[in-house]
Amino acid sequence: MSFLENLLAAIATAPLIPGILVMVGGVAWGIIGGAIPGISGAVAMALALPYTFGLDAATALVLLAGVWAGANYGGSIPAILLRMPGTPAAAAAVLDGYELKRQGLASKALGVSLICGTIGGLISIIVLIAMVVPLGNLLLAFASPEIFALALFGLTLIAGLTERSFLKGLASGFFGLLLTTVGLDTLTGSLRFTFGRSQFLSGLDIISVMVGLFAVSEMFYQISHPTRGAPELVGRASTAFPTFAELRGVWRATVVGTIVGIIVGIMPGAGATASSFVAYNEAKRWSKRPDLFGKGSMEGVAAPETANNAVQGGDLVPTLALGIPGSNSAAIMLAALILHGIVPGPFLLTKHTGLVFTLFAGLIMVNLLMIPVGTVILRGCLLVLRLSPPVLIGSILAIVVIGTYAADLFLLNPVLALAFGIIGYGMRSFGFSAAATVLGMVLGVLAESELRRSLLISYGSWAIFVTRPAAAVLLLLTLGVLLYPAVMYARSHRRARPASSGNTAGSV
Amino acid sequence: METGTSVRTAMRTELAIAAFLVTFGVVVVVLARGIAPGVRTDPLGPAAFPTALGAGIGLCGFLLGIATLVFRGRPGRAGPLSDADPDEATEGGPFSPTRLVGAMVTTAAYLAAFEPLGYLLATPPYVAAIMLIHGGAGRRALLMAPILTTVALYATFRFGLLIPVPGGILEGILR
Repeated sequence: MSFLENLLAAIATAPLIPGILVMVGGVAWGIIGGAIPGISGAVAMALALPYTFGLDAATALVLLAGVWAGANYGGSIPAILLRMPGTPAAAAAVLDGYELKRQGLASKALGVSLICGTIGGLISIIVLIAMVVPLGNLLLAFASPEIFALALFGLTLIAGLTERSFLKGLASGFFGLLLTTVGLDTLTGSLRFTFGRSQFLSGLDIISVMVGLFAVSEMFYQISHPTRGAPELVGRASTAFPTFAELRGVWRATVVGTIVGIIVGIMPGAGATASSFVAYNEAKRWSKRPDLFGKGSMEGVAAPETANNAVQGGDLVPTLALGIPGSNSAAIMLAALILHGIVPGPFLLTKHTGLVFTLFAGLIMVNLLMIPVGTVILRGCLLVLRLSPPVLIGSILAIVVIGTYAADLFLLNPVLALAFGIIGYGMRSFGFSAAATVLGMVLGVLAESELRRSLLISYGSWAIFVTRPAAAVLLLLTLGVLLYPAVMYARSHRRARPASSGNTAGSV
Repeated sequence: METGTSVRTAMRTELAIAAFLVTFGVVVVVLARGIAPGVRTDPLGPAAFPTALGAGIGLCGFLLGIATLVFRGRPGRAGPLSDADPDEATEGGPFSPTRLVGAMVTTAAYLAAFEPLGYLLATPPYVAAIMLIHGGAGRRALLMAPILTTVALYATFRFGLLIPVPGGILEGILR
């Protein structure tokens, strides 16, 4: 079957009514979650993760995709109305969005954000489909050594790109890999790090760990760094869709935002925040009216909002083709797969074609649903935004406990969420990366099993990793990523020394 | 510009983190070496991977310590609180350790009471306690929000998702 046939089959066989309800629910929760400052897309997805337990893998993925897409738009609502971005990625929309609100154009700005974001999201999904299928076919030649090398490369890449302190990023990734070793070793039947407790035989529950690292640590952070009360919302807000002429006025910014979002999304670790600021600057450079940027330009809203929605499709390219998630949100998507017994990796597309194509169909549909749901849910968002932070935090922690407990009616799960909330808080405070830990957990299962399988094939010879060209290249790239920070430091230090030699004596 | 004192404090913190990583790595290696080999099915065995990870974490700590001592606060040095994920980072007010410890202890107490006391009885005081610890909630919100949250979540799970919620001492009444 061609990929178009696969896609059409996925749409045709999708259970329509429950499927649409799940998508609407996902998008609605994503928009509301994204609109609440402090709940990023990843936190909103982590909070939804326990509720996917009773769903089949495809429906769970589509629900999470809806939350992700919704959160991308939701962040712009308080950014435009309150000058307070709901998610870090919406910060760029504040620059012109709030100026437009002061000029009485808030509804129009929200409409531009919604429509352009949807356009960016849809185009990025088309690019995703076009790229993933050939990439997946290319990787069919991969065997265990290459998959292990790929997992190692992905881990070092994320540790290197997301962290200013590469060593802490790497240690965080190793910690994540270590967490996957807890429990019964399926190859030998040995017990690892169970400390005599039968509850750990099947390993640590990845959902509880993720919810702890992302959501609980964030709530603890907000409790220990309390901010002022609920924001003041003056007047009523609605969504006014841009006319065709107004859309023509922002087409350049929309194209720039889409291209930037997709490219930045494909690069693991770069993220939606970077894409929205890059898109804002590029749109200003390409605009006919750059003087309006910062003073209430519709293009200044369209570009970052298109970009942070377009990141989703780009982000899913390495996630689905290689099994390497480029962001926390993508890592949560893969965690949902693990939850349903599917090991993510380069063979996802070939082994679970139906699932991947259902996800593609779901992604298109959730992006289309953004427009009606985003319009209707706005009033609900404003209601939630009026709630004070202590109400929201208390309720979210209660949701975390009941949500993780409900996954398998096991008190150990909320206990794990609390423990990893504390660990996540500590990691955040001392510059470690929860994202790298989660990535380690996602890649860990694959990395160890493929390493051991490779050595089984080679009768214990490590030469298998250098005699196979693709594995050798990937390991060389891994080495390059590992050495890159040291080389860059040495270069910048050498450059800085002559300039500072005259005035820094005794500054250490 | 960083003062000498702040650089020294940052260095001390980094060295403490490095020491923690080395210790953690060593503990992992020791524990991993004690893993029983089980049925011999592959050349690597069950202990090698966690041993390597422990060694890797320890090595990261060692290199972090060396880097902190060698570079001593010069540009490029890894500093504490330096690298929250830009897509996740949120701004906040001044740090309050009392609130943090209070929230953690309250959550632990809630989990301890969750099954014996039951969801309906344990949750409202927990939500109210978290609101009090955070501060800034009005009297009406303190009275209403914990009850509304508890009832809404109970209804969602018990009647919407059909997931049994611990009844605790109310088990007989709720059945």
